Amino acid sequence: MSSEFTRFCPLADVPVGGKKAAKINDTWVMVCNTNDGLFAVSAICSHQDKPLFNGRVRNCKVTCPVHGARFDLKTGEPLDLPATKPIATYEVRVVDDWVEVCL
Amino acid sequence: MSEQALDNASNLAPGQARCPNEPTTQEIIARDKVGAPTWVRSESYAYMGSDDVTIDRYVDPAYAQKEFDRLWTRTWQFACREEHIPEVGDYYVYDIGRNSFIVTRTAENEVKAFYNACLHRGTKLRASNTEGCASEFTCPFHGWTWNLDGSLQKATCDWDFPHVKEDEFGLPEAKVELLAGFVFINMDHDAPPLAEYLGDDFLGHLKSWKMENRYIVGHVAKVIPANWKLTMEAFMEAYHVIETHPQVAVSNADANSQYDTYGEHVNRFISSLGVLSPHLRGQYTEQDVLDQFTVGDSSVLSGADRQLKEGETARQRMADMMREMFEKATNSDLSGVSDSELLDCFSYTVFPNTFLFAGISLPMVYRFRPVANDHRKCLYEVFFLRPVPKDGNRPEPAECVMLEEHQSFKEAEGMDPGFGEILDQDTENLLLQQEGLEATAKPGITLGNYQEIRVRHFEATVDKYVADNA
Ligand code: FES
Ligand code: FES
Ligand SMILES: [Fe+2]
Repeated sequence: MSSEFTRFCPLADVPVGGKKAAKINDTWVMVCNTNDGLFAVSAICSHQDKPLFNGRVRNCKVTCPVHGARFDLKTGEPLDLPATKPIATYEVRVVDDWVEVCL
Repeated sequence: MSEQALDNASNLAPGQARCPNEPTTQEIIARDKVGAPTWVRSESYAYMGSDDVTIDRYVDPAYAQKEFDRLWTRTWQFACREEHIPEVGDYYVYDIGRNSFIVTRTAENEVKAFYNACLHRGTKLRASNTEGCASEFTCPFHGWTWNLDGSLQKATCDWDFPHVKEDEFGLPEAKVELLAGFVFINMDHDAPPLAEYLGDDFLGHLKSWKMENRYIVGHVAKVIPANWKLTMEAFMEAYHVIETHPQVAVSNADANSQYDTYGEHVNRFISSLGVLSPHLRGQYTEQDVLDQFTVGDSSVLSGADRQLKEGETARQRMADMMREMFEKATNSDLSGVSDSELLDCFSYTVFPNTFLFAGISLPMVYRFRPVANDHRKCLYEVFFLRPVPKDGNRPEPAECVMLEEHQSFKEAEGMDPGFGEILDQDTENLLLQQEGLEATAKPGITLGNYQEIRVRHFEATVDKYVADNA
C-alpha cells in the first residue's frame, strides 16, 4: 500500500459535527469531524455495499441509514447486526487548512 | 425497640406507627431555611394490610410469562428520552421481553412506535439495542420498505404479491405519549391515557421538576442476577440503609423517611439527608454528620469548608454548600430551590419499571427490565440527568455503558465512586435474596406496614395486571 496523502477537501467543509463523502481515485471515502477529532472511513457499508454517507454520526459511530448497522469510526468495527464485517479506515491529517487522507 | 416504643405502637391502628421519639420527615424539612414546595410538603400514606406477599412472583417462570402476557402488554413504559430522537427520522429500538419497537420521530412533534418486525417473513427491521436515523425502513432480507410514517412503500417484486394490500400492510404501532422529555409507549390500544394512568397528584409533582429541560449526562447498565421486581424493590425503602449502607446512615434519616402512594401506578419515598439516622442516636455529633455526608455527585463538593459554627446544624450547612457549589458546577441559578430539594432523596416509582428521582443532588432515572426467557435476570439501567446548560445548547445524550455482571458500578466511566459503592451494595444482596426465595420453607415475604408500603403497593398493582385476564 502506498502511504501518500491526498487532498480531500478544505477543513472548512467539515466543521465539527459535519461529514463529507468524495471519491479518491476509485474509492468512496467519508470524512467525519467529531468531538473526538477527524476520522476517514469507507463511505460504503460493508453489509450490502450501500452508501453510508447519509448515516447519523454520534459518539464516534456512524449508523448505516439502510439497515441500521453501526460502525466505530476509530476502528471500522461493526457494532450491530446486520453488519458483521468492518469498513475500511484511513489515516487523516490537516495540512494548510486542507483535510488530507491516505488510502 | 424500647418497651415504651412498643407500648406506643401497640395503641395505634396498623400502619399508623412511626419511628418513635424522632422528628418526621415533614418536621425535618419544616426547619429548613429555604422552605420546600407543596409537592414535598404533603403526605399520602394509606395502610394496605399486613398479609405476606406470595413468592411465586419471584421464582416461577410461569408467573414471568403471565407478566409478559398481561402486564408488559398493558402498561405505559418509558421507551426512550425525546433527546434520543431529536430529528425527524431518528429512531431508538426499545425491547421488552421478546417484544421490540422502533421508536421514531415521524414529524417535529410526532413520535411513533412500530413493532420491530418485517410483515413479509418477520425479520427485525432494526437490530435490538441500536439507534440511528433513517428516511425509510428497509428489511435486510428481501428489501421490503416502509415509509417513516409506517406505510408500506415497496414490496419487492410486487407482481408476485397481488394479495398484499398497501392499506393492510402498514407497520403495526403501539400507543405513544410524550411527557416531561420522556417517550412512553403502551401496547394496549384500550389503555387509559398516560395522564389518567399517572394521576393528577403525580403529574403536578412531575411538572415542577422540569425534566424536559434535562439531558442524559451518563447512562450505565448492568444485568442483575435476580427477578426484576426484587431488583426494583431493593430501591423502594430506606429500611435497608443501616445494614446495607452503614457509611450512609450517619447522615441519612433512614428509619424516619416518609412513604407515600398515589393511585395504583405511582409511589415514593422522601429520605432526608444531612441528618443522623435514628439507629445511631447519641453516637455522633452534628460535626460527624457533616463530615460523613456524601452525595451522588460529590465532585461538586470538593474543597468546601466543613467546620460547623456553634449551634449550626449539619443539614443547614450542607444545604448552603450544595446550593453554592451546584450553582457553580451547573452554571445555573438555584436561589429559588428549597434546601430539601438540594439535599434530600426523592425516589418515585412509575409503574411498572421506572424510578424518577426529583431533587438536585441525585438527578437520576432508573429503568428495570426482565431479561427475555430468564425470570432470574434483570437489566438495570441508571441514567444521570443534568439541566441543559444556560446557553440552551443541548449536549448529545450519553451512550450506554454496559457493565459485565462481575464489574463494579464504580468502574463505569463518569460514575461517582461513592455512589457506585452504594449501587454495588444495593445489588450485591440480590442473588442471595433470589436464591433464598427459591430455598425457603415460607410461602410469602413479610413487610413492614409503613417503611415497606411501596413494595406492597407495587406488588398489589402487579397482582392486579397479572390476575386480570382481560
Ligand atoms: S447496507 Fe448498511 S446495514 Fe445494510
Ligand atoms: S423478511 Fe423482510 S423482506 Fe422478506
Ligand atoms: Fe440502597
